Amino acid sequence: MNRTPHPRLSALAGVAALALALSACSSSQASAPQSSDGGPVTGGTLTYLEHQAYSTLYPPSAGFYPNGALVNNLTVRLLHQVPETLELEPWVATALPEVNADATEYTFDIRTDITYSDGTPLTAENVVANIDLYGLGDQDRALIVSEAINNYERGEVVDDDTVRFHFSAPAPGFAQAVSTNNSGLLADASLELDSEGFGPGNASEVIGAGPFVVESEQIGTTIRLAAREDYAWAPPSAQNQGRPYVDAVDIVIAPEDSVRIGSLVSGQGHIARQVEPQHEAQVAAAGLEIVAEQTNGVNNGLSFRFDHPLLQDIRVRQALIAGIDRREIVDSIFSDGYPLATSSLSRTALGYAEQVGAYEFDQERARALLDEAGWEVGDDGIRVRDGERLHLVVNEALPQPRSRDVITLVAQQLREVGVELELFQGDQAAQTAAAADIEQIQIYHSMVGRADYDVIKSQYSIENRDTLRNADESGEPIDAELESLLREVASAPAAEQRTAAAAAVQAHLTEHAYVLPFFEEPQVYGLQPVVHGFGTESVGRPTFSGVWLEG
Amino acid sequence: MSATAAVLLPRRTERAAARRRPALTLVLAVAVLAIALAWAILPWLFTSQDPVAGEALHALQAPSGAHPFGTDATGRDLLARVIFGAGNSLSGAAIAVLVGLVVGTAIGVLAGSTGGLADEALMRVVDVLLAIPGLLLALSVIVLLGFGVTNAAIAVGVTSIAVFARLARSQVLKVRRSDYVEAAFGSGGSFLRVLWRHVLPNSLGAVLALAALQFGSAILQISTLGFLGYGAPPPTPEWGLLIAESRDYVATAWWLTTLPGLVVAAVVLSANRVASAVREATA
Amino acid sequence: MPYALRRTGQAALVVVATFVLAFLLLHALPGDAIVARYASPELGLTEAQLDQLRLVYGTDQPVWVQLWQSAAGFLSGDLGTSLQNGAEVESLLAAALPATVTLASLGFLVAVLLATGVAVAATFSSAEWLRRAFRSLPPLLVSVPVFWLGIVLLQVFSFQLGLIPVINANPVEALVLPVLTIAVPIAAPLAQVLIRSIDDTVAEPFIAVARARGAGPRWLLSKEVARNSLLPTLTIAGVLFGELIAGAVVTETVFARTGLGRLTVDAVATRDTPVLQAIVVISAVGFVAINLAVDLVAPAIDPRLRKAVHA
Repeated sequence: MNRTPHPRLSALAGVAALALALSACSSSQASAPQSSDGGPVTGGTLTYLEHQAYSTLYPPSAGFYPNGALVNNLTVRLLHQVPETLELEPWVATALPEVNADATEYTFDIRTDITYSDGTPLTAENVVANIDLYGLGDQDRALIVSEAINNYERGEVVDDDTVRFHFSAPAPGFAQAVSTNNSGLLADASLELDSEGFGPGNASEVIGAGPFVVESEQIGTTIRLAAREDYAWAPPSAQNQGRPYVDAVDIVIAPEDSVRIGSLVSGQGHIARQVEPQHEAQVAAAGLEIVAEQTNGVNNGLSFRFDHPLLQDIRVRQALIAGIDRREIVDSIFSDGYPLATSSLSRTALGYAEQVGAYEFDQERARALLDEAGWEVGDDGIRVRDGERLHLVVNEALPQPRSRDVITLVAQQLREVGVELELFQGDQAAQTAAAADIEQIQIYHSMVGRADYDVIKSQYSIENRDTLRNADESGEPIDAELESLLREVASAPAAEQRTAAAAAVQAHLTEHAYVLPFFEEPQVYGLQPVVHGFGTESVGRPTFSGVWLEG
Repeated sequence: MSATAAVLLPRRTERAAARRRPALTLVLAVAVLAIALAWAILPWLFTSQDPVAGEALHALQAPSGAHPFGTDATGRDLLARVIFGAGNSLSGAAIAVLVGLVVGTAIGVLAGSTGGLADEALMRVVDVLLAIPGLLLALSVIVLLGFGVTNAAIAVGVTSIAVFARLARSQVLKVRRSDYVEAAFGSGGSFLRVLWRHVLPNSLGAVLALAALQFGSAILQISTLGFLGYGAPPPTPEWGLLIAESRDYVATAWWLTTLPGLVVAAVVLSANRVASAVREATA
Repeated sequence: MPYALRRTGQAALVVVATFVLAFLLLHALPGDAIVARYASPELGLTEAQLDQLRLVYGTDQPVWVQLWQSAAGFLSGDLGTSLQNGAEVESLLAAALPATVTLASLGFLVAVLLATGVAVAATFSSAEWLRRAFRSLPPLLVSVPVFWLGIVLLQVFSFQLGLIPVINANPVEALVLPVLTIAVPIAAPLAQVLIRSIDDTVAEPFIAVARARGAGPRWLLSKEVARNSLLPTLTIAGVLFGELIAGAVVTETVFARTGLGRLTVDAVATRDTPVLQAIVVISAVGFVAINLAVDLVAPAIDPRLRKAVHA
């Protein structure tokens, strides 16, 4: 672990009492170079307004957006997923991998001309060391296994430019997995870091071979990325094959929504992430561009935990679906960037299968179903059966847009058919702790973004997020059919088989009324008119290397 | 916390200033509090709109005849939410004050009247309460007890215990040293009897004035907790939360923060005015 | 025992007691840092893997052992690392503390200036209506939520008028609005105290004597009134210190600044005990030191207190 000298506590406390120390936070105004012919120009500093500070740069934790925004620009991956088509293309690998018939062996031929920003070369040994760490984790250093890599056994250096990875069971998602930020490649020195070493304050120690390097950071407020002049190994589909157009990127944390948007609109920043739907009109009215990038995974919606006594009866779950007016929610508190969901998967997700007529709003049907199930309307309008109220608790999806408002509206709608819905109140730790407990949370509000068939397994499998709480006390699946379908998605070697399995999962979720998807969740960015060439990777994390600023 | 410190300090006279001040402001203040109280007790008399359910398609409408305060982001009538919020906000503030007043005064009076080692120990406990950042204390209490108006109010109350305790103790000490209490002791009155008959009534004025001040500041503190995400669960209408939840709309829908803000300001101002009247009356 | 020595001993005792009490309080909260960081369904870790992480971080030990380890760490100057992101607590504090101290001290300074201005205007303005207007200013300012004030100031001065940037501002620009925001709610009660204090002093017999001898308001102000008002200001400073941190969190969140307040809120949400313990120690030491200073300095300013103190 790298330690930098710090003043001791006693000195700090003395300072606390009296001193008038000026905090060192100097930086220049964002400036842009002059453009003459309308083509990309080089130079300038891009100011990017972020919602939250990053928590770690350990790539398997890059699912958290602020982490992913950095890892995506600091590292290269074996493969690259083209965001528009979701197809894989070579990057560090010179071609797509050779895969054996049951998808338990992957062989990559790799480039040998890439260097990390500390000057060390990217070698076959180094690639294997990276994937070994991400596939196996290291408990002693509190470094977790990557969610994207399943059934990993070991890596092998075949020769100077060939690496092979072995799996204990079919791992058809591996090729896509090595294209995600979770598999960002790091220099040998950075692979020695422990959980502390990847934490805030140490960002410049995390060495990648990407288009940017960390120049400086002030914990919790700003981080400055500098362009790598010698970057010349962009993925084939990238517009910009050379060094990034901008000289530097200032990532500034502005957690308060109205402040982030106000700063963007008044020209104090170039790009802001997380423009909430309620702010879109304000941003558009100021002549700014709104970019809503789809996240291509499991839609934003509710998972009904069917093993809870109140939800075991399928008629109750069907009544919940019929009692919720998704159209009203999307129309009134979201915008065009949030298309109404047509399945548990997003239309642009791999393996998507439309569920026609599965989520019809019909209050009469909802009431009839609840009557049929023996729930009678009580004195206060809430249904009762055998002295028990039809009272359900839903979590607040803290990272998701307007979760509170969504739940407020849903509760209002369900009240009309006699169901009482309560929002679980708690901060991050309390929400996370309660989410695992079916006694505390019966309906789970969430989404996942990942552009691979595996994403549906990530959401519902008892091995992963298990949003439906399908695992019983002993860890066995309650709905074994669902679990085996999910494993089929993640282990069938051929794409056609995976598509079929994913479709079967979606049909199963519909048939048993397990889920109600609301909308296809985008990542929404606001852009000043001077910003050109902005794009994101396959699940909406920003890519800065193609961005240029007009004068 | 902010307003409370003002009354901690020894004061001698304010009669000169008091005499100049017209009673009109006091009448107004009492009227404002009376209206707020009426809203809290009989909210349905003042509005026919539903405070928790709105029509989503009528969201963010500016004030009009139908919606005098406009509507919020999910189409609820803002005036109805303010009126129905009075109950939650006033009872929350009252709970906060009661917690601080009862526990704090008990500690302070006990410390001040016993003296010696017990006094020393109690006042160190009070120091500890002051030394833990009030914010951390309040958040911890809420996380421990669970989210909700009442628990947020208790959290705010807990953070004010120390201030009440210090004030009560200083008042008791002052009264104890006065001649008539010395005389009461001298003429053979028992400790508890003197405490009850002479010390308490004479120390109470300043403490009650602090309570009235704390009432206004409690509303603001509960609102700050709402801003930090530790407030009442939706759709509970609560004044502080109304302002905190609407802050995203400062630039686009001015009425959402301004109108409830004015109501809160009017009530806090009135509470402060009554506080100074209490102080004058008991001086 | 000499007074100063006894007060110092008490102060040390308070810091130790605060440390222990805070540790136990934080330990009693539902959910722990391992759950907050690793149990998130996103990472898909099993209960057994979580237990192993608890082992690595030592959070599986009994509370007394953890308390002892934490205390021993503090005594040896090692504040440990954040359970939430692995950053060293020292470096988190090195970033947050100077920012908050700067904000708080400037805020307090501006508050004192504002309060003095208001108090003087409220007492010595020529017109009765002006005096009354200034007198009603403090209660009005007390009734404004800080976060609302901050957001409105930003909207007006930064976003609408474009006078002061909030993003990439230079150090001075970065402080103007936050200092103002944090100063107003502190200035209000201070002004109330000062106004009362001036009223009291003006009513004193010796002032009447001085007036009778032809002394003008300026003389009154500069000598007796100023001296008599200094003490209440000092006393209130000690009480307001803790509140500055609370006020700072709102200001820091609104103005996207780093600082102790934001660090506290984030750390509570993730049950990041090492960070919170460090904040508690800093806050306790700061509180105790300021109060100690006030107690020791006050007698020097007001001779009437000297007797009481030594009694």
